[in-house]
Amino acid sequence: MLNIFKKTAIAGAMILSAGAALAEYPEEPIEVIVGYSAGGGTDVMARTAAPFIEKYLGDGASLVVKNMPGASGQIGVTEAANADPDGYTLGTFNLPGMMARTIDREAGYDRDSFTYLANVVNDPNVIVTSKESGLDTLDKLLEEAKANPLAVTVGMSSLGGDDHFALIKLQQATDTEYTIVPFKGSAPARTALLGGHVAMGILNISEVAEFQDQLNVLGVATDERSQFAPDLPTFKEQGLDLVNGSMRGFIAPAGLPEDVQAKLIDAFSQLSDDQEFLDAMAATANPVEVVTGEEFKQLTSDLYDLANGVWQTTPWN
Amino acid sequence: MYSDLLHALPDVFAWTNFAAVVIGVIAGIVVGAMPGLSATMAISVLVPFTFGLEPLVALGLMAGIYNGAMYGGAIPAVLLRIPGTPAAVATTFDGYPMAQKGEGGFALQVAVVSSSIGGIASAFALMLLAPPLSKVTLLFGPSEVFWVAVFGLASIIFLLGGNPIKGLISACFGVFVSVIGSDPIYGNDRFTFGQLELLDGINIVILLVGLYALPPVIDLLETPLKTDGVNSSKLGTEPIWKALPRMNYWKTWLRGSFLGIWIGILPGAGGSMAAFMSYNEARRTSKHPETWGEGEPEGVAAAEVANNADTASALIPALTLGIPGTAVAAVMLGGLLVHGLQPGPMLFRDNPDIVFGFMWQFLFGAILLVLLGGSLATNSFARLLNLPRPLLGSVIIVLMLIGVYSINGRMFDVYLMLGFGAIGWVMDRLKFPLPPVVLGLILGGFAEENLRLALRIGRGDPMVLFQNTTSLILVALTVAVVVGPTLKKRFIDSRKKA
Amino acid sequence: MPESRNSRLTRPETLTAGGIIVVAAGFLVPTYDLRAISALLPAAMLIGLIVLSAFLLLADQRKASAGEDATPMTTSPKRVIGAFLMIVSYALACDFVGFYISTAVTIPLVAWTFGYRSPVGLLIATVIVVGTIWAIFDFGMSQDFPTGRLWGR
Repeated sequence: MLNIFKKTAIAGAMILSAGAALAEYPEEPIEVIVGYSAGGGTDVMARTAAPFIEKYLGDGASLVVKNMPGASGQIGVTEAANADPDGYTLGTFNLPGMMARTIDREAGYDRDSFTYLANVVNDPNVIVTSKESGLDTLDKLLEEAKANPLAVTVGMSSLGGDDHFALIKLQQATDTEYTIVPFKGSAPARTALLGGHVAMGILNISEVAEFQDQLNVLGVATDERSQFAPDLPTFKEQGLDLVNGSMRGFIAPAGLPEDVQAKLIDAFSQLSDDQEFLDAMAATANPVEVVTGEEFKQLTSDLYDLANGVWQTTPWN
Repeated sequence: MYSDLLHALPDVFAWTNFAAVVIGVIAGIVVGAMPGLSATMAISVLVPFTFGLEPLVALGLMAGIYNGAMYGGAIPAVLLRIPGTPAAVATTFDGYPMAQKGEGGFALQVAVVSSSIGGIASAFALMLLAPPLSKVTLLFGPSEVFWVAVFGLASIIFLLGGNPIKGLISACFGVFVSVIGSDPIYGNDRFTFGQLELLDGINIVILLVGLYALPPVIDLLETPLKTDGVNSSKLGTEPIWKALPRMNYWKTWLRGSFLGIWIGILPGAGGSMAAFMSYNEARRTSKHPETWGEGEPEGVAAAEVANNADTASALIPALTLGIPGTAVAAVMLGGLLVHGLQPGPMLFRDNPDIVFGFMWQFLFGAILLVLLGGSLATNSFARLLNLPRPLLGSVIIVLMLIGVYSINGRMFDVYLMLGFGAIGWVMDRLKFPLPPVVLGLILGGFAEENLRLALRIGRGDPMVLFQNTTSLILVALTVAVVVGPTLKKRFIDSRKKA
Repeated sequence: MPESRNSRLTRPETLTAGGIIVVAAGFLVPTYDLRAISALLPAAMLIGLIVLSAFLLLADQRKASAGEDATPMTTSPKRVIGAFLMIVSYALACDFVGFYISTAVTIPLVAWTFGYRSPVGLLIATVIVVGTIWAIFDFGMSQDFPTGRLWGR
């Protein structure tokens, strides 16, 4: 009862203020819900981007980052999905994780729960091997994997994440099989690789950039060489069609007023040309690749279909 | 490398950077001393705030807080039997009995001196030995880490207390709590009942505040007129330079520092395990083990030296490999990322002034601890205990709520803490020992995760657990620690009979 | 004189052991849905709890037949229950009414109820605690505490 009353009141207030408020959006602070604790990759992205978004929104706009950590970002993104679609609550969004969670567990949102603003970071996957394994080229690795199915151990962070999907793509493309060793996060996986406890690893380029001397980096899963580490060859160059990565971006709840959406997307799309922003992101190991609006939505949808297809054939839990 | 170390020194003495360390140490002691507030919570609240600060100011604050809190936790552990931080659990064993005997002041002085020594040793390890020690970390893959966890779990048998059945029930309870959350390999839910808040497992601070802080609060309210509590007039404080000669714990300090540094560089286990192990080892080798647990100052020294000795060393794997050695170091790693400091071998080359400056700050934080900690604890905090008991109780209730709420910013954790509090009260009244719960929670899930990773690497063959020297040494150590005391006792008994 | 049957069963340790057995058995049910390897450790711990509690129960009953009186959990149950209820209502109040109001009410209320009756002392303590918390957390660190679900956002 109270709830209905509240909703009506809010709706009424919105109609009354609609004309004036929307013309001047934003007129109050915009909250950005980050599903991870302060200091994580997603949090740093949000906090680095915030002042630039403020600049492009103009009119003294202010973005306030709010951390709601827990359940690999799910608590925060659920909160953002269920917020009022007035443009004053945004959220961060991680792919393919956020979509995979709608498949492998019950989630309080789905791919239609959001207004897709912009994907800002695309951190492509890399395949690395430990120095001790002796598998220092992609050919050697594939040869070994074909000769001894399941003999190659692959360290990666959790199942159902971008690393896992990259491995599945690799397995399908090359008809090989590996033993998956899912660590809690990529840093422990990388440490196990450095110590030679696993032979191969699937990580992200930002996670290995600092460790190129201690590991064999076999290739990057992008179409073109990454600006982040231009000396690393792509898999395509080596005749393997493997493109995959971990993405981080910004969403708002579905049903955002169109002019607010347009204004936000416009602000986000200016990020990709801002050298100061690109430098700040590079310093925090976030490779930038801005994809906005419809394209971002399509990207999410594709990733959902991929994850769903994998889940149907080989569920991971 | 050592020239970089010296090159970074002038920056550390820039007054803002130095003031940050001083403020950090004081803030850390205060936070640690408040039952309910922990270092993890303080630093996670601080991290977003440091975005706008100069790197060395931000890092100085964090280094100071970390050092300060690891000692501050000893203050309520000694005076109220409430460990202010998870790592101070072992400090209660002898610290509180000392306070009851009227030696609380001396206990706090032992704690502050030991903390400082541990912190200094740890800072030196970080400054001088980070690269070689990070190689040691690499030796520990899943199977080795599994054995480290087993080694830690084995020490539970010394913490069972008078009734082994109750002790084992406590341990099983702790291990069971550790498996709540998502499965370490498959990620499916275990006992979360659909609550997303439980998916990441139960934070040790929530359990600790519930189990350790709530029962004493109930005690404070239950018998408010009781005046036999510890108050500052009974602290028995004498000036620290007079107390110093009474502290002849060099062996314990040395052993505790070594253990703390070693546990620190291993990912995941953290400060409380270091303190427990140092305490057990010191007691095992003591000439008069029967006085332990009844107010033996050396017990306080053993616990406190170790829980500070893993502070800086926990940053060795964090800085070089990105894997933090303790929960606090994990939060600090976030603070480093905020300032664009990516962990890895390049870190030392790319930002030497900041990284080495940070190490200096750890060293100065540890030294400042003796200067600031001693007087702060005995002169101000101990006096707080003169507050009327109902008032003290109500203030602690508020602190508990703040401390638990601020970890993740949600009330769910507070309710969870109250649930553990009710369990803790029953356990306290029926004399179930609490330390096995804490060790079980810290090490249970940790052991399981690494065992299962190791088995996956070995593709199901359990022999993978015994395949290298490091593992075998750890197995031998565990057996020695478990069987050793019984054999020794038999030997002595048989000689008595003869 | 041996205790009556009824009081034998309401001994605190017996009740606790029984409670652990029931709760642990309850938690065992969901383990059936888990993979074997995933259920192994939790099931082992739960069975451990059940077996150990059974021992505890037997030991306590043996003591009871030996005529040993159980130590009561508390001598003033009303105060203990009151304290628990106050703490729980404080948490609920923070959640629904808001942190600062609840805290400002709870500190004097709890202290007064449990025997500290000086109005000036209560006022000073409340102002200091709430003020310090506000200054450090809200003002200094822009850390939000619950504002109360009843008022919406």
